[in-house]
Amino acid sequence: MDQAIEKVLAIIWSPFNALEALIAEYLPGQEVAALIAYGVYVLIILAGGFMAIGSRNLVRAMLGLVLTFLGVAGLYMLLASPFLAFMQVLIYVGAVCVLIFFAIMLTRNTNEGEESKLPGIGSAIYGLFAFVLPLLVLGPLIVLNVPKLATVQYEETQTKLLGQGLMTDDVFSFELISIILLVAMAGAVFLAWRRRPSDSEASR
Amino acid sequence: MTTTLTLFLLVSLLLISIGLAGLVTRRTLVGMLISVELMLNGAGLAIVAAAKCTPASEVHGQLAALFVMGLAAAEATLVLAMILVVQRRFGKVTLDEVSIIRSSPAKGPH
Repeated sequence: MDQAIEKVLAIIWSPFNALEALIAEYLPGQEVAALIAYGVYVLIILAGGFMAIGSRNLVRAMLGLVLTFLGVAGLYMLLASPFLAFMQVLIYVGAVCVLIFFAIMLTRNTNEGEESKLPGIGSAIYGLFAFVLPLLVLGPLIVLNVPKLATVQYEETQTKLLGQGLMTDDVFSFELISIILLVAMAGAVFLAWRRRPSDSEASR
Repeated sequence: MTTTLTLFLLVSLLLISIGLAGLVTRRTLVGMLISVELMLNGAGLAIVAAAKCTPASEVHGQLAALFVMGLAAAEATLVLAMILVVQRRFGKVTLDEVSIIRSSPAKGPH
């Protein structure tokens, strides 16, 4: 039984293995393959990002956001941090995007909402400034200063170490984030509580 | 001469500036929420890349990114509740309409 499963898995994986062998044959070293993967992920992120901020339909904007999240998850994989990549998909794509979808649907802000109009010329100019200014200020800073202190280490981060860190060094921030989540949940319930008119009259 | 860290930091910088541009140009609260999520994603990516590609402790960096994700989830929850309240009270979630901070608007829908 186990052998049969292994055979099926081997058949499923064989195209990927062949692709890997092909890349290894034509591209000397892993660096180039990593660079290509990086380029693909960056393209995905950029396309998703511009879709997220530019689309006149908020549901499409949310789909662009999902695309960006998936691209960033791919970059986490490239950084040899698989746990973070899974958390990215789980938390952002799974939870945050569902929340945003709820927000879109509850405000009925899909097709003919306020976002369907193009932004005014002043707002567009502000947006251009907001896009260019961080790039102009921080971009040269990154390009000029970072290589002096960067050393690359490409071992995969052990999830076990992350768990140990959560329980030992970072236990205080762990507790803090649980309290923050609890408070946020309670606050959200409190804010969205719709008091019925009969209740408020009865309590008076 | 570029290194890996530079490449990743440039991507996170791009994410942050895209998010900032969206924050400025969007008209509704939901669109601004989407832009803020983009910026938070860029911040997390920058933290992880900086922790992975420098001698700093990578475990601490990844845990910090996890906390950023948790904060983003909490923030999205709260913003959803706020959007609900604003929608119920003003009937709209455009920022131009929602500029009254007074406790009871003179002629609100309630």
